[in-house]
Amino acid sequence: MEIVQVLAYGLLLGGVYALLASGVTLIFGVLDVVNVAQGAFLVFAALFTWQIWDLFGVEPLLLIPVTGAMMFGLGWLIYRGMVMRVAPQGPGMTVLLMFGVALTLEGILNLVFGNKFKSVTPPYFTSSVEIGDLVLPMPQLISGVIGMLVLGLMYAYLRMSWAGRALRASAQNPDGAALVGISSVKTSAFAFGIGAATAGVGGVLLAIMYPIYPATQYDWIARLLGIVVLGGFGSIPGAVIGSLILGMTEAFANTYWPQWSSLFFYGTILLILIFRPQGLMGTRTREDVAA
Amino acid sequence: MIENLKRPRVFVPVILLALIALFPIAVADSKYQQSVFIVCFLFAIMASGWNLISGLAGYVSLGHSVYLGIGMYTGAILGKAWGVDPMWLMPLGAVMAAVVALGIGLIVLRTRSHAFVIITIAVLLSFQLLAANLKKLTGGSDGLIIPQPAWAVDLGPTPYFYIFLALLILTILLSAFVMNSRLGAGLVSIRNDEGKAGSIGINTTVYKVTAYTLSAIPFGAAGALYGQYLGFVNPLGAFAILTSVYLVLAALIGGRGTLWGPVIGGFIVAIANEFATTSSGGVSARVLIMGLILILTVMFLPAGLLPTINQRLARRRARGGSVKFIDQASIAASSSDVDTSLIAARAQAGSSSGDSVLEIRDLVKTFGGVAAVDGVSLSIKRGSITGLIGPNGSGKTTLFNCMTGTFRPTSGQVLLDGRDITQEQVWTRAHDGLGRTFQITRLFKSMTVLDNLVAPLEKTSAGQMVAGRYSGDEVERARDVLAFMGLQEFEKQNAAALSFGQQKLVELAQVLMLRPSIILLDEPASGINPTLIDKLANVIRKLNEAGTTVLIVEHNIPLVLSLCDTVNVLAGGKILTSGTPEEIRNDPLVIEAYLGPDEMLEAPHA
Repeated sequence: MEIVQVLAYGLLLGGVYALLASGVTLIFGVLDVVNVAQGAFLVFAALFTWQIWDLFGVEPLLLIPVTGAMMFGLGWLIYRGMVMRVAPQGPGMTVLLMFGVALTLEGILNLVFGNKFKSVTPPYFTSSVEIGDLVLPMPQLISGVIGMLVLGLMYAYLRMSWAGRALRASAQNPDGAALVGISSVKTSAFAFGIGAATAGVGGVLLAIMYPIYPATQYDWIARLLGIVVLGGFGSIPGAVIGSLILGMTEAFANTYWPQWSSLFFYGTILLILIFRPQGLMGTRTREDVAA
Repeated sequence: MIENLKRPRVFVPVILLALIALFPIAVADSKYQQSVFIVCFLFAIMASGWNLISGLAGYVSLGHSVYLGIGMYTGAILGKAWGVDPMWLMPLGAVMAAVVALGIGLIVLRTRSHAFVIITIAVLLSFQLLAANLKKLTGGSDGLIIPQPAWAVDLGPTPYFYIFLALLILTILLSAFVMNSRLGAGLVSIRNDEGKAGSIGINTTVYKVTAYTLSAIPFGAAGALYGQYLGFVNPLGAFAILTSVYLVLAALIGGRGTLWGPVIGGFIVAIANEFATTSSGGVSARVLIMGLILILTVMFLPAGLLPTINQRLARRRARGGSVKFIDQASIAASSSDVDTSLIAARAQAGSSSGDSVLEIRDLVKTFGGVAAVDGVSLSIKRGSITGLIGPNGSGKTTLFNCMTGTFRPTSGQVLLDGRDITQEQVWTRAHDGLGRTFQITRLFKSMTVLDNLVAPLEKTSAGQMVAGRYSGDEVERARDVLAFMGLQEFEKQNAAALSFGQQKLVELAQVLMLRPSIILLDEPASGINPTLIDKLANVIRKLNEAGTTVLIVEHNIPLVLSLCDTVNVLAGGKILTSGTPEEIRNDPLVIEAYLGPDEMLEAPHA
């Protein structure tokens, strides 16, 4: 029974990771930019949630639309103000730019919130749901379900809407998309906004699960990038699979070998990359081979 | 060496370093300043090391401080076990870092730009976790205390100051050596265009792994020393991602790919860091300030200080000079009356055996369900000019890429001089005498024409990697080949400044430097003007007379028919027919393949 418990826990954890990682992979797929600031975005949204909850006692989950919209706006601004100008210099430079953004944001959050753990503890924080022998802590259950739900909605939107089609067209062939009237600047800013918005939603989910302080952004960068490398850059299904693998590994390792959980994950990544350098779901295009 | 000292590029930094070396003697009671200098040296060492892989080859590593940590732990753990001060273990720290880098490099260098950046971070964090969890060896997250030797208590930081300075000078010498070697030239060509670098015989895997391993050495040595200087080692400090970001920032500010840029940048970052910590108090402000500096540098000074200053100076100097135009006709009319021995193919071991240079057997290449090449067998006669034509989508390029090694065929064989090369790497094929050009030219744009020509390598060996960039007879041969092509005027031009047609000729010249026994030309005449096409045809005939076999893939049918001895026609992934130009010209099957069946042509009228 313990195994089922661990599996369920890993699944819920994976659901939250999947939402966050799909934001990173989306931005990469459309823009060729590795957003290493996703962790900082996440921590920002989480601390914002804490602040509002602390001041007004608002139910944190109600803040999801607010933080989502707020981070969309921030992402949009960062793209228009900075990424767009640096992008022509290639992926190495945009990674460094986003690192700069992450550090700046961490510095600001440090000054505003201080270097202490903040916890959001709504009434259901310590409660749990029991299904037979299965015990699921409420915060994990809520976060996992909402994470998967939002990701599903986003995926459906990207598959079915005109904007989603434009995004995918731009991701595959920006010049071709421009020729048929898709503004690459607008779609890119939109994609960046959506990618950041996943951190907005995810920030609230994290706030009710874990204590947060600014420097925790590094843990998140590492996890999210690991997932994306494992799943294959630019692939949302890949990000989901990578997230589930990470969620499960962490859940198992936390139960059986507590200190080693992340190391198992990185080890898995290195092993997989020896055999599939493009990641699990990544595709190797003709261009990759020829380049 | 003495000659070199007269150049301002060399003597200015040397004088500055000498002045810094005098600092502890000249300024009394300067312990604090010396400690700031030590951090400057450390960052300069790390940024210079990083520059070897990330600046020269363009593979940006964001986790390079992992090798500092490895040096720190090597010094601390072995120093304790053997009862010596860790600083004596600097060579061991360097070896340890190099060994780990070799192992990791073999894995992570399989990936390209983005994945590489991220995996380097993952490696750093993995080591942090390892150090925190291997408690018996590393003392866990508390780390290890390193007792200070008695002299350090009496003398303060001054001995460390000099050892760090010496280490910095060694690191600068190492980078200068790499930059002036063939290894350095090869790394720069990898940064420019990795696929192309492979096609002219540069073993990109060996080059990258070598550079990655070398780059770790200064980190490992500095780590053993730095651990002792700090007096302790712990996982968060030794394997800090911030250290990695700062050292990348240092190289970025100073100028990646230059010798002194990372050194200057190291000083700037260390001093800014110190200033941010002392003046505004606390880590928060430091992270904020460094973050802002990073953003501003990436946005407004992406090339770095040194390259930007050099560019300004060059522009100022150029303002006085006059622009020189080169007249196309003179290239086209150039005599080409050069000793053909210098373009003649290398004598291949056993090359005289068999009368076909390149042979394709039952080659199939599928993409998903589509068979782009569907069972092609082809034999290219020694000393011939063979043509390969076919309508768009007939599989020419795919077949071509299977021959050059860009693609691995799904089944079938490729034989060069009777030897199976189907599974060989692109560069090995180049070493074996197979040269190729590209439909859209792929010269190294940041390099001069001459540098482009001396880049190709006929073999891979350690001796050749450490040899000077312009050692051997390559420069003379390059000038001769340029003269043969009528391109001598362009020697010092940047490849990017040439017209497309000129670039095509330079690319052919570049391949000739390999002295290939067979050259594969991918649409040599596309996109260039008719005068240059004539010139090109002329060059191809001369090459052929000198004994080089030529295979041409081309859409310009008149050119193919006038040049070739044998022409193969490809349609729908299969060989439709082969024959002399005369036979092909009159073959109804060929006309049908290009224009469609007769009845279809007439259909609109019917």
